[in-house]
Amino acid sequence: MTFKHTMAAHCESGTVAALLKHEGMDISEPLVFGMSAGIFFGYFESRKFPFPTFVVRNRPGQIRTGMASRIGVKFREQKFRDPGAGERALDDLLAREIPVACQTDFFYMNYLPGHVRVHINVHFIIAVEKKDGVYLVSDCYSPDIAPLDRDSMMKARFAGGSFAPRGFMFYPVSVPERIDYRTAIWKGIRSAAFNMVRLPMPFLGVRGIRLFAKKVVDWPRLARDTEHLSHEIMKINILLEDQGTGGAGFRFMYATFLREAAERLKDPDLHDMSKRIMEIGDRWREISLFAARIGKRRDLGQDRLRELSSLIYERADAEESFFRDLLAMSKKKI
Amino acid sequence: MKEKDVRVDYRKHQVVLYAEKRDGSYGPVRTGSYITKNYLDDYWLKRNNLEREYLEKVRGGEISPIAYYMVLEELTPSELASRVKLSTRKVKRHMTPEHFGEATVEQLRRYCEVFNVPIAGMFQAVVTRKKGVRVEELKTDNPYFSIYTIATEKK
Repeated sequence: MTFKHTMAAHCESGTVAALLKHEGMDISEPLVFGMSAGIFFGYFESRKFPFPTFVVRNRPGQIRTGMASRIGVKFREQKFRDPGAGERALDDLLAREIPVACQTDFFYMNYLPGHVRVHINVHFIIAVEKKDGVYLVSDCYSPDIAPLDRDSMMKARFAGGSFAPRGFMFYPVSVPERIDYRTAIWKGIRSAAFNMVRLPMPFLGVRGIRLFAKKVVDWPRLARDTEHLSHEIMKINILLEDQGTGGAGFRFMYATFLREAAERLKDPDLHDMSKRIMEIGDRWREISLFAARIGKRRDLGQDRLRELSSLIYERADAEESFFRDLLAMSKKKI
Repeated sequence: MKEKDVRVDYRKHQVVLYAEKRDGSYGPVRTGSYITKNYLDDYWLKRNNLEREYLEKVRGGEISPIAYYMVLEELTPSELASRVKLSTRKVKRHMTPEHFGEATVEQLRRYCEVFNVPIAGMFQAVVTRKKGVRVEELKTDNPYFSIYTIATEKK
């Protein structure tokens, strides 16, 4: 099978973009991310997490479903109760030279460095071939197509826990000949902006950023010791920069989406907005670098955490203004 | 962010970031991971300290090996329970040395699958005092059996 592997910033948007490109569509990762309203913020404290955490994107799976509803691409999706049936179905598609996206537990992607692999059940890879019992997978985080042994693939596809994959896999079965990019782009923008400023829950959107800013000063109470606190503070950098966001918690990728949208639709307003979110992203990156620095130095007193908190509050204000303007703009355009 | 500001020379861990290119356009840049390059040593320092601290707790009979691996893998009892298909209550019992022995071999195998360790790792830890000696646990096709190799590194 000739499948063109490319690295991407994020596994789900990268996987969907790669599958659509394989089907002959001219589409980029930022366009997939933006049209499916990928940008988001949520702050969570739950029994499922050992420590408070935050997300900077919409719910896993919504990038695929968003693309299906906005541009009309049809995906064949399957889940399995029986792992054996899931394996046979995947192998059958690969034998027919159909690349298939699989939902997996990131922990078992043993071709990636050990220190990045954690249990998280929403990692997407594309299986492109099975040779001598070993799967060849296109993973956006790997520079090349990587081998994944059958045992690891099965554990990864049928891991339990939150968002258990249950062997979930998908691939496009039809792509539309003509796409109304204008409507798809503006609907994606409106949905993302609405989610950021209009959701009433206190832990989602801009409210979630403010909650994060408020709570981060309390993190020392929740940590086992200074090293644990340092680890959690440094994870802010990982969640914003390294965990497949394209930098600054997806804000740089969203800026790229708005720039691409501005060019496709010849809309100077979107060009200006792309600059604004790029600048907002620059300040997010400063936050992540600040977090890494104070974490390594164990400089985690209340003054430092309050400084971190005020930087996050500033981002909440900037994003509220940005997404309110974007929402108002989207209402006029569609 | 300008392209030159996100570029990090580190081949071992590559990521894709989006940035402003020289010509003013925005697009993907393949670069090294900033945090891995600059802070990986600190990560390993903390990880090794955590391993030592919790291994002492296992030795001291404060916690069971299940609690030890759970902390290392940053899981909670409820998330672990869902992964090994047991109740949270039962997992919490297995986390104590008094009730660890109640877990069946099959249940321990499921725990080990989550922690990605051989089943022998539930009963022992192999440490070396001598420098240059490498101990490796090798999994076999038999889920209940593993092999340890002990090798001295050549000078």
